[in-house]
Amino acid sequence: MLFPTLIERLGAVRLLSEPAHEAAHAAADTAHAALGVAHEAAHDGGHAAHELPSLIGLIARSMSDGPAKSFLLEWEGMIYALAIAALIIFIAQLAARNPKMIPGRFQNVVEMVVEGVSNFIMGILGPEGKRFLPFLGSLFVYILAMNLSGVVPLGKSPTASLNTTIALALCVFVYVHFIALTRNGPVGYFKHLAGNPKSGVEWAFAPLMFVIHTIGEISRPVSLSLRLFGNVTGEDVLLFAFCSLGVTTLAAVGSPVGIPFQVPFILLAFLTSFIQALVFTLLSTIYILLWLPHEEHAEAHH
Amino acid sequence: MDTSSALSLALPIGLGLAAIGSGIGLNGAIGKAMEAIGRQPEATGKIQTAMIIGAALIEALTIYAFVTVFLLMGKIQ
Repeated sequence: MLFPTLIERLGAVRLLSEPAHEAAHAAADTAHAALGVAHEAAHDGGHAAHELPSLIGLIARSMSDGPAKSFLLEWEGMIYALAIAALIIFIAQLAARNPKMIPGRFQNVVEMVVEGVSNFIMGILGPEGKRFLPFLGSLFVYILAMNLSGVVPLGKSPTASLNTTIALALCVFVYVHFIALTRNGPVGYFKHLAGNPKSGVEWAFAPLMFVIHTIGEISRPVSLSLRLFGNVTGEDVLLFAFCSLGVTTLAAVGSPVGIPFQVPFILLAFLTSFIQALVFTLLSTIYILLWLPHEEHAEAHH
Repeated sequence: MDTSSALSLALPIGLGLAAIGSGIGLNGAIGKAMEAIGRQPEATGKIQTAMIIGAALIEALTIYAFVTVFLLMGKIQ
C-alpha cells in the first residue's frame, strides 16, 4: 500500500541519515546489552516461556531429555528460518520456471511483488540500483516472511531472536562495505570516512571526522539488528499476553477455549511486520546510497 | 530494598519514560510531515519515506530500553 507513493527519488533522506545522527551514543551500551541477551539466550537453550508455542517447540517438549531435544530447542529459530527460505525459493522457482506472456493468477501476484520492490529500490538508488536489487529485494521478502511466521499458528518468528537479526545486519554491513571498497577504491574509501576533505580547515578536522564516521558505521548494524529484534519480540509477546488473558478469563468457568482477545493485535502485527521489513530494507538501501561515489550529481545537470 | 524489588519497580518506569521521549519525538516528526504533505501533496512520496526513516530512528530508542528491560528481567527472582 505504501509502494506507489514511495517511488520517487529522495533528497531529504541524505540529511536524515547522516552518520552522526545514527544513534552513536547508543552503540556502546547496546552492544553490551546485545552480548548479555545472547548470553542469556544461550543459557536458556531457547526455552522462551513468554511466546506462543511453536511446532518444533511442542515436538521437543514431548520428547524425553537427550541430545535431540536440546538440539531442537536450541536451533528452533534456525529451523524455521531455513524452512521459510526454502519456501520462498520454491515459490520463486515455480513462478520463474515457465513465464507466460499473459500471466496467470499466480504469476501475476509474484510479478506484482517483484515490481513493487524493484520500483521502490530503483526510486531511491536510480537506474544504478538494478545491481543491488537482488540482495535488497530478497532481504525484504525474507524478513517479511520471517516476521509474519510469528502470526501463523504453531509458527515462530526467527527474527524474534537476536541471532537471526545480528546475522542479517552483519550481511548488510559486509555487503555495503564491499560495495564501498570496490566503487570508491581504497583511497576514496578512507577519504569518504574522513568526510571528503577539500579545504585546509576540513583537512584539519579530518581525524575527528574519521573517528565519528567510524563509530557511526559500527553503530549501524547494532541499531539495525536491535530494532528488528525488539519490534518483532514485542509483537510476539503482545500476542502471547492477550492469548493467555483470553484463556484465563474463561478458565474459571471450565471452558476449553478462550476469548480471542488477540485478534485486533494480529492486525497490528501484520502492520508492524510489514513496516519493520520495509524499514530494514530502506535503511540498507540508504547505507548503500551514502557510500556510492557522488559523480552522478555533476552529470545530472546536463 | 533488594535487587529484584528495585528492578521490578524501576524497569516499567524506565520503559515508560523512554516511551514518553519517543512519543514527544514522533509528535514533532509526524506532525511536521503531515503539515508538509498538506502543503505540498505532490511531494507525498519523498516526505513519507523520509518520515518513516526518522520515525524508525526515533522509536529505536524505546526499543533499546525494551531490550534492556528484557535483559534485566531475568534478574528478578
